[in-house]
Amino acid sequence: MNAVASALKGGSHMAGVPHRGFFARHPESFTLVLIVAVSVIVGSINPNFFELSTVFDILRSSTVTGLFALGVLIVLAAGGIDVSFTAIAVLCMYAITKAVLGYWPEAPFIVIIVSGAIIGTLLGACNGYMVHRLKAPSLIVTIGTQYLLRGFLLTFVGTLFFMVIPQSMDNFGRIALFNYRSATGATAILPASVLVLALAAAVTWFLLNRTLMGRAIYAMGGSLAIAERLGYNVRVVHVFAFGYVGLLAGIGGIVHASTIRLASPFDLVGTELDVIAAVILGGARITGGTGTVSGTLLGVILVTLINNVMILAGVPSTWQKVVIGAFILLAGAVFATRGKK
Amino acid sequence: MPIDTSTQVGNSSLQDSGQPFLSAVGIHKRFGGVHALKGVSLDIVPGEIYHLLGENGCGKSTLIKIISGAQPPDEGHLIVAGRTYSELKPLDSLGAGIETVYQDLSLIPNLSVAENVALTEQLVATNGRLLRRYDRPTLAQTAVHALEAAGLPSDARFRDTPVELLPIATRQLVAIARAIATKARMVIMDEPTTALTQREVDNLIRVIEGLRASGVAVLFVSHKLDECYAIGGQVIILRDGEKVAQGPIADYTKSQLMQLMTGKQLEGRRYRANANWGEIVLDVRNLGVAGAFDGVSFALRRGEILGLTGLLDSGRNELALALAGVRPADRGEIRVDNEVQHFKTPAEAIAKGIGYVPEDRLSEGLFLDKSIRDNVATAVLDRLLGRFGMLDAGKGDDLAARTIKDLQIAAPNIRLPVQSLSGGNQQRVLIGRWLAIEPRVLVLHGPTVGVDVGSKDTIYRIVQRLAENGLTVLIISDDLPELLQNCDRILLMRKGHLAGEYDAATLQEADLYHALIGDDAEEVRA
Repeated sequence: MNAVASALKGGSHMAGVPHRGFFARHPESFTLVLIVAVSVIVGSINPNFFELSTVFDILRSSTVTGLFALGVLIVLAAGGIDVSFTAIAVLCMYAITKAVLGYWPEAPFIVIIVSGAIIGTLLGACNGYMVHRLKAPSLIVTIGTQYLLRGFLLTFVGTLFFMVIPQSMDNFGRIALFNYRSATGATAILPASVLVLALAAAVTWFLLNRTLMGRAIYAMGGSLAIAERLGYNVRVVHVFAFGYVGLLAGIGGIVHASTIRLASPFDLVGTELDVIAAVILGGARITGGTGTVSGTLLGVILVTLINNVMILAGVPSTWQKVVIGAFILLAGAVFATRGKK
Repeated sequence: MPIDTSTQVGNSSLQDSGQPFLSAVGIHKRFGGVHALKGVSLDIVPGEIYHLLGENGCGKSTLIKIISGAQPPDEGHLIVAGRTYSELKPLDSLGAGIETVYQDLSLIPNLSVAENVALTEQLVATNGRLLRRYDRPTLAQTAVHALEAAGLPSDARFRDTPVELLPIATRQLVAIARAIATKARMVIMDEPTTALTQREVDNLIRVIEGLRASGVAVLFVSHKLDECYAIGGQVIILRDGEKVAQGPIADYTKSQLMQLMTGKQLEGRRYRANANWGEIVLDVRNLGVAGAFDGVSFALRRGEILGLTGLLDSGRNELALALAGVRPADRGEIRVDNEVQHFKTPAEAIAKGIGYVPEDRLSEGLFLDKSIRDNVATAVLDRLLGRFGMLDAGKGDDLAARTIKDLQIAAPNIRLPVQSLSGGNQQRVLIGRWLAIEPRVLVLHGPTVGVDVGSKDTIYRIVQRLAENGLTVLIISDDLPELLQNCDRILLMRKGHLAGEYDAATLQEADLYHALIGDDAEEVRA
């Protein structure tokens, strides 16, 4: 046996392994290249771009998309897809805001955000249970629940905007982590809500990389049938993955209303594709089994950058979608070499 | 020394005692009206190798599923390590140390080698609970031990490689490493060598022998009798759901085994009366594909059967793909009927009458969930058009019915999905599809991979009959007896070049085998 082992050690087992390019092995570095490229181009056209306030702007605008994207990452890694998270977020945001204003206007922020988290988790877990139980494609199930939840919201909860949100939410939205006065005299603020995203990113990273649940999520995304045969409880993984999107959607909804100081039942739904696009640009495969937290965050930053700063370069805002679409095609072409045999 | 098996923990003392690790007693299984297993009993002793033989449909797969816990028996019971079970659940089976390596190897493609090998240990330790810490140092440690025992590299680069990037032979060894990591006491391998070249098979056999020597029982399911002899151990033969024989394989001759499996007399002989070759149909001159093979020249005559063999890295697969237009050649030329062709796509090769039956019929060839008719018709849709350019279903039905009859496909109905057929019948459907294009040259890549003995024989008869009727056939295969039995000439490729040409009628299998692995064996020694 030893003779065999040593004869084979010479790398012959790696001989047939196709050489993969750097970007194929580290898809998130491609995202980083795109971010740098966009920044350099915009900055060279408009030097005002290179300001600390731009960084603050982008971080602020990334918060809610980032929360959603971390959830979508988990579901994509588990081999599913979720398009109902925006409906979960808007339902949590609007229903809780309305309830708090009606029954307990001085409720502390922690109660509000925990309620959002709980309701979101339950709704997400229902998605996961149905995907498992019905053995239906998760796209179909979550299209269904998106319509159901949104219809429920508009029919039974309400259609009016709340221009005034509960005091504790308003306060949370105004907490500044960092104030900065630029040379031109303008004030840039980094809101504390960014911390929520940072915490969520840390928790998601830990889940994916340091728990057996993380391995189970990737395993199920690689092959549901084999994972089941190897003894992974795929029902638990399904409920967990979709519950986790629901959790982040619930939290994201509350943070969203707090930051924009407005609760509209017509908000958020329709932005699912932007979030999914960000996760895909961050290197996750739509077919499941891959994706990283760092890549996802970079994808979110890239999409936010395009949506927010291209205007600085004098590009009409209608071009944003063209650029994002082109980047997705480009990323698709670069990443396509992965896993081909 | 008296031994109470109920308190056994280690496997070495079990081995000494000669007590079976697993006993199946009077197992019956029925599927609807089909009586798949009719009271099968067998004992599996630690440190012994078993070959479960039988034709497709004899109940082998059902028996394995019952042992691995995928299906319950209708009657009978199982005794594993002294405990009696009326049925095993998958976790019982795994917990008792029974590791089943199915043909798909049960590896998760996107996870790393280390995770595939060693994650089960942690899953078992937490009893399936997932919100537990993933212990990476332990994972690496277990993986290193198991990979070394399986003769694989154990460095971090190999451990972190996603399994989907590895060649199939290496994946096979990774699956065995997982069995080692889970401290399996019995390993069941379902046709482990079908996708391997001769040298990889030799390596696998050595690893299996190491497992056996450490007291693990190994149960092989295989169609390759020569390998069973090379490995040695016991044979268990099933026919029509009954065990018809069990004993040391050395006590049986090959034709006795075949007779026991099929219940009828088969001989490994050539069915062709006389080779009556015509004009040159396919002429290959200095063909080359960068990085795969170069300077390959040969000519094929009408009615000739040419064999092509070589190790996996010899370029034989790439040559086949170049002829079929799947992966176009960079250099040289292919002449069909003395006309130079440059196939860039399979469609161009098909148009010139070159039919290519791929090696992996499941992923490259058949549409498994589609009917036999659709599968047969798919390459000739343009000939099945009726009025207004619509498909004429009647023509498709006729074609499928003719194919079933000509190729002796055992199927009651042309609308059955192909996945409901046995391996041998699936292979014949695939051959039938390419015969439907009325090819000049038929390229058969591993035509009997995963096909049982009886079906193999039928396929050989068909191929040789086709050649007698003027079809030119190129068989690319690792199965040396298959080449010797069917071909007129055999070409050997090595490292991208033609290394030899042999007359099959006078060639001995041992000589061909030595020629095949010759150079490589010397390199390993040097």
